[in-house]
Amino acid sequence: MGKKELREELLKALSDGVVNFEEEKVKETAQKVLDEGLNAYDAVMNGLAAGMEIVGDLYDKHEYFVPELLMCADALYGGLDILRPHIKMEDLDQRLKGQVVIGTVQGDVHDIGKNLIKMMFEVAGFTVHDLGRDVPLEKFAEEQMRTDSEIVALSAMMTTTMMGMKKVVQMIKEKNPNVAIMLGGAPVTKDVTDLFGADGYAESAGNAVQEAIKMISRLREMQK
Amino acid sequence: MAVMTSRDRVLRLLAREPVDTMPCFSGQGMVTLPAIETLGIRFPRVHLTAENMANSAIRSMEMFDFDSAVVPYDMCTIPEALGLGVSIYEEAEEILFPTIPEKWGTPEEVRIPSDYPQRGRMPLVSQAISLLKEKIGGTHAIGTWILGPFTLAGQLVELDILMKMAIKARTKVEALLDKLVDLIIDLGRHYREIGADYVNLREMGTGADILSPRMFELIVQPRLRKIFESWDSPKILHICGSTDLIIELMNDCGAEAISVDHKNTLSETRSKIGSEVLLLGDYDGFNLPGQASFEEIEQAVRRCIESGVDAVWPGCDIWPEIKSENLKAINSAIKELGRSPSPAVGRI
Repeated sequence: MGKKELREELLKALSDGVVNFEEEKVKETAQKVLDEGLNAYDAVMNGLAAGMEIVGDLYDKHEYFVPELLMCADALYGGLDILRPHIKMEDLDQRLKGQVVIGTVQGDVHDIGKNLIKMMFEVAGFTVHDLGRDVPLEKFAEEQMRTDSEIVALSAMMTTTMMGMKKVVQMIKEKNPNVAIMLGGAPVTKDVTDLFGADGYAESAGNAVQEAIKMISRLREMQK
Repeated sequence: MAVMTSRDRVLRLLAREPVDTMPCFSGQGMVTLPAIETLGIRFPRVHLTAENMANSAIRSMEMFDFDSAVVPYDMCTIPEALGLGVSIYEEAEEILFPTIPEKWGTPEEVRIPSDYPQRGRMPLVSQAISLLKEKIGGTHAIGTWILGPFTLAGQLVELDILMKMAIKARTKVEALLDKLVDLIIDLGRHYREIGADYVNLREMGTGADILSPRMFELIVQPRLRKIFESWDSPKILHICGSTDLIIELMNDCGAEAISVDHKNTLSETRSKIGSEVLLLGDYDGFNLPGQASFEEIEQAVRRCIESGVDAVWPGCDIWPEIKSENLKAINSAIKELGRSPSPAVGRI
């Protein structure tokens, strides 16, 4: 088998493994990518991320739901953990350079959506500063200032914790209006996003993944 | 019939008997900041004594002309009683509801101590219901709620682990759900015995934006059926988020009333479930009482009624930081626009 055919076969195996949440198969394939001397970054973007793109479509079509997304995410991470240390410096130049501060606001301990969007940022090559969950509001602004991140992503699953995001948006925008702020969570709507002065939103874990997939798809297109 | 009391209005509606007008009530938390402020207590304190819980519920009810009072306000009372810690955020300036900071790692680790009703804040909730019975039981309905088994399991075990195990190790998840079903049955009966007029089963973690309809049918629906078979009427099932795909399954759980939030397509739901079942919903408990104009309020209430609800009620907890004039306008519009019969309930 030629190098080109081998590459295509392994990329497909990575993608299929993510879609079918076969974590062990993804790990084995990722290792094979390295053993065969193929490009790790290519495998992440056109294997793992491509698989997650299909997963996003399946979520959109109501064929996959959050438990399936989580299983797919585990499979993706299985491959990412193996491949990421081997991404070459010249690939880094092509990567979307950026930093994001991410966390679930104080009063909310639900972090599924936050972890999924974090994963997609990592796949896309962002440096992610994960503050965790139940994060005091001022911590987001402090971390953004400390890291000079371009994006802050806030998550709140419940109406009862959503209001905290408004304060965070105000704190960050006062100091640096150019920071892009993404809101996520079940109670978040476009009206809420506008009201709070944020820049984008996703109302569910699946939507968050979809939004991130669109971003990664654009990146993959740019690199073709 | 003499003048209908608030309690009559709610209970008759839940029994599908004619009422004078649509009641204003809820099966979710509806404590408000303006009410708490008149009591001179801070928000975190409403969760910590039976008196604060009951008095804040009564004051919220009186100030905004609700037909019922509802306790408790947070989802942590049972997990706390089972042995998990709870964050109350006593020093927070913002409104923060209690949360469970650390959950169990697997469903097998969950233990239900036999004395759980005496642990944590469980006695406070019972006392608060008894206080409501004593203070307003003759005139107003007393509501309470309990989380459904899957949602409660998600308060006890990390949700991502629970969801993945629902696929990979379903029997372990089902074993936990069965234990919780027994707890929920007992607790619902207890709350009714001490004075609650209705118990809303809130299974909000099972909407179709989270679980597949197949998973709902497989692991959630049979357990909801068992709970409703074991409870006396009225029986209310609430699920928020995306419910269009599972509304028929919800309707087949044995509840007499189905409650949804604003992500449900009410008119389609009504045509799917027919006119015998009570439909409750679905105004936005954050936007309408806190942000909307009077015109938007009237439109929202009218839309709910025209879409076929039997009672206009919030699709989730009412966000405590309401505008008083908005909540008054909502309840006034419900009573005014709710004078005509609804699909399942006639008018006197």
